[in-house]
Amino acid sequence: MPHGTCAGRDLFPADFGYVRAASLAQALSLLSDAAAADEDVKLLAGGQSLLPMMKLRLATPQTLIDIGGLAELTGVSAGAAGTTSIGALTTYRALQHDPHIAAAFPAMTDALAVLADQQVRARGTVGGCVAHGDPAADLPAVLLALAASVTLTSQHGTRTVPLDDFLQGVFATDLAADEVVTAVTLPPAPPGQAYEKFEQPASHLPLAGVCAVVAMSDGVITSAGVAVTGVAGRAFRALDSERSLASARPTAAVIGAAASQVAAGVRALSDQHASGPFRLHLAEVLARRALTRAIERADGTPQCLD
Amino acid sequence: MPFPGRFSDIESNRTMLQSFACNGTTGTAVGNRMPASRDVLVEVTVNGVPHTLQVPARTLLVHFLRDRLGLTGTHVGCDTTQCGACTVALDGVAVKSCTVLAAQASGHEIQTIEGLAQAGAGLHPVQQAFWQEHGLQCGYCTPGMVMAVRQILADNPDPTEADVRHGLAGNICRCTGYQNIVAAALDAARHLRGA
Repeated sequence: MPHGTCAGRDLFPADFGYVRAASLAQALSLLSDAAAADEDVKLLAGGQSLLPMMKLRLATPQTLIDIGGLAELTGVSAGAAGTTSIGALTTYRALQHDPHIAAAFPAMTDALAVLADQQVRARGTVGGCVAHGDPAADLPAVLLALAASVTLTSQHGTRTVPLDDFLQGVFATDLAADEVVTAVTLPPAPPGQAYEKFEQPASHLPLAGVCAVVAMSDGVITSAGVAVTGVAGRAFRALDSERSLASARPTAAVIGAAASQVAAGVRALSDQHASGPFRLHLAEVLARRALTRAIERADGTPQCLD
Repeated sequence: MPFPGRFSDIESNRTMLQSFACNGTTGTAVGNRMPASRDVLVEVTVNGVPHTLQVPARTLLVHFLRDRLGLTGTHVGCDTTQCGACTVALDGVAVKSCTVLAAQASGHEIQTIEGLAQAGAGLHPVQQAFWQEHGLQCGYCTPGMVMAVRQILADNPDPTEADVRHGLAGNICRCTGYQNIVAAALDAARHLRGA
């Protein structure tokens, strides 16, 4: 037992081996060896999803490779062609305090303000979020609506995949056993963005969350990104809604019609907090709110027209 | 349920979840090639005092503080990253010490509720405000509340009531209804601003 007086009553992880990587190169080397030996190993970033799962014995890795301290994977920087690159180990708290994120990605600001709580935001990381593949995480909806891509690095090189391809299902991603998520990259985005959620009050996880990103010109929507989290086995883009918005004027009827298609054909998950039909209802309401606010924020456009 | 907000089909199938959670590598060990250690040397400064202790790698920071250093002011409430009773400052930033490994804290500075009041200076203004406004009843959540309010005011010295309530999202009190905790936070903010 790791401690004496409360043994048997407190919650703590199953036994594991721990190694703190001093560099990305060392982490990749350790990971490559572990993958070759078929060892049950997990990367530890902020630990705000992994450690709770380990305490509940939902995850019992043999070994943790702690990459949390790697400064080389931390921070927000400008990439090619106006893109924004977020180092995988950048915490939610750091993103909240980043002036470029606040100026360029108001939907991200929306989500960060209501994501978990201040203590979890101080530790949780963007890379950890996408690698974990939690179907109820907030950020994947925002990142999908913003057309984010994920950079994956192994000893064999680096590849970049759209987040939409990376997310595969409940806690399942395209991350290979010898790869590390090293960055999340966002293309330039219009200012018409918003994220809305309805949360489970203890966990703060969204029962449904919707992000809308709307580009407008002369009062007409030129393109739209809409994505939903918390409703299905993975966050997904609402392609029907996106198509219905393109080239339309943002009337209440257009917004309502787009919102009504936000989870078309989706088999919603049910649990003790919300039934599938309730989640679908929430998604529609939240889509309407997110679209309305995104259009209000779109530069130089009138308020929602009736 | 141990994990509010999770889908029932996840909860009912732990084996599947476990396999996904481990990148699909469910195979058994083939030797132990990792230079990983089941015991780790934790070198940490707590309330200004350096400590070096060897502990099992799975030791959580809250258990390290309470059981190894005897700093029992930091409480364990929910054990599941929700209630905030275990809140401490890690390098000056509020975190939930039930969801940080002691190993992760090695090389860093921790401040607990015991380290908030400076010697000879009386209570910290946040503690003083909790006393003044009676921001507690049973007191179990109070150390975490005080450490969380310290962070809220460090980030925003002049918060609105809504800012305080939003900032306390990660701290649960089952006695007070939060009213006097919020009043204490606002009172502490006034004092810290010198108003």
